[in-house]
Amino acid sequence: MAGSDRTGSDPNGPQRRHATLGPVSLISAVGLTKRYPGGVTALDGLTVDIEPGIVGLVGSNGAGKSTFLKILLGLIESTAGKATVFDLDVAHQGIAIRQLVGFMPEHDCLPPDMSATDVVSHLATMSGLPRTAARERTAEVLRHVGLYEERYRAIGGYSTGMKQRVKLAQALVHDPRLLLLDEPTNGLDPAGRDEMLLLIRRTGTEFGMAVIVASHLLGEIERVCDHLVAIEGGKLLRSAPLGSFTERTGTLSVEVEEGQDVLAERLVGRGLRAVVDGSAVLIDLTDERPFDIVRDTVADLGLPLIRIEQRRHRLEDLFRDRPAAESAPGEPLDPPASQVPQ
Amino acid sequence: MTAPNPPAAAVSRTGSIYDLGYRRYEGPRLGRAYAVRSMIVHSFRTTYGLGRGGRAKIAPLVLGGLAVLPAVLVVGALTLAARLGIQRQLEGASPISYESYFSSIGAIIALFCAAQAPELFGRDQRHGVLTLYFARALRRTDYALARLAGFALALLLLLLFPMAILFIGRGLLSTDIAATFGRDLPKVPAIIGQALLTAGLLGGLAMAVSAFTPRRAYATAGIIALFILPGIVAGIVIQLGSSAIGNWLVLLSQGTVLSGTNALLFGTSLPDELFFFDLPRWTFLAAALATIAVTVGLVLRRFARITT
Repeated sequence: MAGSDRTGSDPNGPQRRHATLGPVSLISAVGLTKRYPGGVTALDGLTVDIEPGIVGLVGSNGAGKSTFLKILLGLIESTAGKATVFDLDVAHQGIAIRQLVGFMPEHDCLPPDMSATDVVSHLATMSGLPRTAARERTAEVLRHVGLYEERYRAIGGYSTGMKQRVKLAQALVHDPRLLLLDEPTNGLDPAGRDEMLLLIRRTGTEFGMAVIVASHLLGEIERVCDHLVAIEGGKLLRSAPLGSFTERTGTLSVEVEEGQDVLAERLVGRGLRAVVDGSAVLIDLTDERPFDIVRDTVADLGLPLIRIEQRRHRLEDLFRDRPAAESAPGEPLDPPASQVPQ
Repeated sequence: MTAPNPPAAAVSRTGSIYDLGYRRYEGPRLGRAYAVRSMIVHSFRTTYGLGRGGRAKIAPLVLGGLAVLPAVLVVGALTLAARLGIQRQLEGASPISYESYFSSIGAIIALFCAAQAPELFGRDQRHGVLTLYFARALRRTDYALARLAGFALALLLLLLFPMAILFIGRGLLSTDIAATFGRDLPKVPAIIGQALLTAGLLGGLAMAVSAFTPRRAYATAGIIALFILPGIVAGIVIQLGSSAIGNWLVLLSQGTVLSGTNALLFGTSLPDELFFFDLPRWTFLAAALATIAVTVGLVLRRFARITT
């Protein structure tokens, strides 16, 4: 595999890498099911194949993203089904898998009275790095995530953004082949999100490390990922390259402070496809016509307009268009794409 | 990822010579045994507050100092006696000997356990660090056993360091060095045996409580209660003079069990308050070992089931 191959950021990146690597399965799950003792079903027969690249694992809160990641790490056992990581069985080869994988948990996981350097180098030795190498790698990854002098201070005094960076650093310190990130932008302000996403993108592309980013924020996922795996209710909704998600027609998002319902009604009345989505009204964009209609309608109604934004992608549609998700969960939105024929 | 990996930074970030980008680690990866060893060392250091802030060092330093103090005092007194030429009399009169040292610092060791055991199991649970450990190249049982071993080693140091001071001090300050070492040396196995039992029993009980009690204050209170209550109950029953129940309560109270093993190992008589105890003395040893086994089992079970 050539170095230049890893820097590609085109949506076809994963397939091309895959072609040069041969039949490598990064992650494969068949009928993966997890029922918690309380009766909650977190995963319900999830079947998916994930190939190297930067993969977004999207789903609403409680869709089963964290459970899926933890089963892959061997942190929890599945109730039924089978899963492999690098062709290693998660049920029996947990240690071998965990040596190759770096995990960034969703929640706080850092002792406040230790410094970033001490925590990360200690965890590096837990992954088998000799003491000296652990220290060197620690300094390197902390620099990579953008922590400098403050790395010698106790973590208790860090901002959320700094803590997230330390969490990413500890996942990278043993140079894993696969990085599992669970809601990496949790609790960050917009600037912090941008930096974290850039860091993830860099880590994935500059070094071609396989990355799986679990998030409920579609807007973030689309900025860093090549491939999307959407799950809902513990089942696979869709798995396809990002490109195929965005090929669909555009959307115009009109955000107003109030009167979304009236606006949508009027727009539909004027022959547009419009739906209310929170504080916004989303309009199908097939030609230039809606722009004028929206402007006039908003002005007629005298609604307090916040912004009008043309969305290139319609990732949200994946979930929004599927009130049927409850009645027929797991049924692929687009059957051919969900098979991931790559 | 089989091909050599030139740092992408060299190509794409020529602007800065400081930013080397992400670099691969090509060095050795030691296995699970190494991870466990590192965890033991880390647990030992954490118990003494090493690698953490100044506040974390106060309790272990104070309690450690108190545990060593009697030995230092004895050696100091011996030095003084040597100056005054009366060490022969003092050697016979010394109230602190190998046989009685562990019981005289027993309360300090118990406090040390109550203060420091929650630092190991409590912090990891409270701050979610367990997830990071379990996501690495070791098993849950490895984690639990390494933490237990690290704490036991820390207790052993606390128990044996003052003994070493006493041993060396007594030897070097005596009128006949060879004779003193010759007299003291046979006691070394008993000293080490009793230290192991003390570390295992008190450490095991304290760690078992803190494994189930993430909140530090509750864990400390729980450990102290566990150390004190059985002794009080045993004391009451002893005063009532019921030897049948008394025998079993004695074996359930870690304080009296350690008094018993101390007497067994050093070959001395049982403390006066245990006058009624009429079971064979090896039952003390059996009770200590059984309790240690139970506490280790409880800790392993706890971490095998805990959700992260």
